[in-house]
Amino acid sequence: MTSGFLIAALVLATGLFLVGLFGLLIRRGVLFQIVSLEVMLTGPALAFVAAGAHHGDPGGQGMFVFVLVLAASEVALGLALYLRLSRHADTTDSDTVRELRQ
Amino acid sequence: MTPYLALLLVPMPAMGAFLLLGLGPAQFERRAIQTIALLGAVAPAVVMLPLGAYCLTGTCDGVQPIFDLTVGDAVVALALMLDPLSAIVGVTVTLIGACVIGYSIDYMAKADVADLRRYFALMNLFLASMLCMVLAGDSIVFFLGWELMGLCSFFLIAYHVTSPRAIAAGRKAFVITRVADAFLLAGLLLLFIEAGNVRLDVLIPAGIATEEVRRGLIAFLLLGGALGKSAQLPFHTWLPSAMAGPTPVSALLHSATMVAAGAYLLARFAPIMESVPLAMAVTAVMGAATALFGAASAVFQKDIKRLLAYSSISQIGFMLLALGLGQPEVAIAHFVVHAIFKSLLFLAAGDITQIARGTTDISAMRGALWSRPLAYLAFVAGAASLAGIPLITAGWFSKEAILSAAWLAGPFGVVLWGVALASAVLTATYAFRPVFTGLTRIGRPKASLGGLFTNLPILFLAAGTFAVAPLVEPIMNFLGAEMPHGPKAVELVGAAAPFIGLGLAAALTFVPTLSMRVARARRMRSGIRIDSIYQVIFVQPFVGLVRWLNGEKGGIADPVGTLPILGAERLAAAVIRPFAHDPVDRGWAGFSAGMVRAWGAGRRMQSGRVRDYVLALGLGLAAFLLIAWGTTWR
Repeated sequence: MTSGFLIAALVLATGLFLVGLFGLLIRRGVLFQIVSLEVMLTGPALAFVAAGAHHGDPGGQGMFVFVLVLAASEVALGLALYLRLSRHADTTDSDTVRELRQ
Repeated sequence: MTPYLALLLVPMPAMGAFLLLGLGPAQFERRAIQTIALLGAVAPAVVMLPLGAYCLTGTCDGVQPIFDLTVGDAVVALALMLDPLSAIVGVTVTLIGACVIGYSIDYMAKADVADLRRYFALMNLFLASMLCMVLAGDSIVFFLGWELMGLCSFFLIAYHVTSPRAIAAGRKAFVITRVADAFLLAGLLLLFIEAGNVRLDVLIPAGIATEEVRRGLIAFLLLGGALGKSAQLPFHTWLPSAMAGPTPVSALLHSATMVAAGAYLLARFAPIMESVPLAMAVTAVMGAATALFGAASAVFQKDIKRLLAYSSISQIGFMLLALGLGQPEVAIAHFVVHAIFKSLLFLAAGDITQIARGTTDISAMRGALWSRPLAYLAFVAGAASLAGIPLITAGWFSKEAILSAAWLAGPFGVVLWGVALASAVLTATYAFRPVFTGLTRIGRPKASLGGLFTNLPILFLAAGTFAVAPLVEPIMNFLGAEMPHGPKAVELVGAAAPFIGLGLAAALTFVPTLSMRVARARRMRSGIRIDSIYQVIFVQPFVGLVRWLNGEKGGIADPVGTLPILGAERLAAAVIRPFAHDPVDRGWAGFSAGMVRAWGAGRRMQSGRVRDYVLALGLGLAAFLLIAWGTTWR
């Protein structure tokens, strides 16, 4: 694993993260925001795997498994919120739940 | 590409059927649910049979790795394993599973669709988890299958969710097996600490090489796990109450899965057990005691399902006796035979009692020969094998091997042989009580037959009880042991035992004074009231403690949580009140009032829009990155 490859992978990871962040900012639908969050998570996950492979350390893959578990639990929570929102408030627009701050 | 790759396919169809039925979002018709369940149950047998045949021809010792993870010194290597033991048990489990789930299609036909779906999903998961456990090549997959089975048995025993009795029975099974599972988990973890590896082929030699005290501890912990799962003496009370579930559940639970798991565990870890003579002796004594206790209790049962439950307890006791005598091969042969005749007995009894409007009393068998001839004859075949009628039934060969093994084990073994022989006599007695009850004719009943899915498994299993008879010795040879043969006189006494039992059964059924006495023996029927003793010693104090903590018994509710808070309030009143209204206090109050104004200002920043927060987070992250970059720049 050359360091050129590592840098390429890290750039790709940063790109994935930024794409996800951008999606999270411009989307208002909760479902697409969850999708964007997932895309964001893949960035650091890729960075972990690439760094692990670069140093020959299985810890990177282990961290990837942790990220996967984190992502799964986050999606479970997010989808539950999404379902409650669409059933209760009849909307999936995250901006309309502003009243929650009160 | 090795043929062992196919091992991965064995539990997969049943697991797939569970995922589809249990978690799949689609709606299914009744027909579709039945088809999926049947496919999921039959496909493992289709995959497992060629593997078993391959095992007969070639070398039968393969490991199929699934997933490796190296963490420091420890290796977590999940794998499936095919050796003579897992091949024999695997083939038995897949065949019995296919038969029982096939039978369920007719039996459960009246349930409504949602219930049917839940039932078949759980049955398939049950089968898949047993297969995972049987084929496991490492302790993690083994324990996973073991635990999933406990979970499924809880859900299936409590299948009739509207009945408080069923829920209580499921909870009881779950709690008692959980206590035993804790022993197993502790034993497996100790082994893992010794070996630093989860693979069974590393764990077992490492376990044998451990120093004596630890090895003894591990062996006794494993034994504790097996006793609980197999419903042996101190833990046996969950099995008779587990009858609250549907009959096919009992057929699966009692024959090839769940209760047999304990015997399989001890057979799998037999080398470790054999290196601790004390643990072996305890296993043999517990097995023999349970065999006698179960058989004696079964004689006095009024309910046919409870009778069969005590019979399972007793038969697994025989297996543990063989294991304790250092003959795991004999125990596994008895496991195969027992799995066939016990599932047959449950399926046939279920068919007969379902006709009798759902009551499972032995009197429901009355006239079964005329009203339900096929199921009745199958029941007779199963009962004959259970009793061990010499030469024609498989049950005789395996039980004879256990008796001979006991006789050949020295003076201590002769005592065990006597206990086992008494159990064998009682076994024939309780096995034939329902059979003789079925002979009495009431009215002019019309013979009827069940559906195809009822009769096919019953016929298959009934044929199996006889077909396996000549296979008992080859099974032991295949597992790498000779069939133990005691002296001729001992074998003759063993062969006479079932007939004595048969005579006793006839006397108990047809002599009115004796059958009255059996009907009145309440103490024996409740299994010498061990259940009530546990209720008083364990359950009632616990319930009392919980009610006290709830505040239901008067006093303070939740004393553990409330008392510290009450104490803290007292302390605050005693220490802080003298200092109230002084300059420091006023300064503090002014500060907190200022905080309220700061909060008002800060509140305006909170727009409540998710995207604003994301933007703020993103900008903060960017700022941090910039600072980090700036401070580490060279």
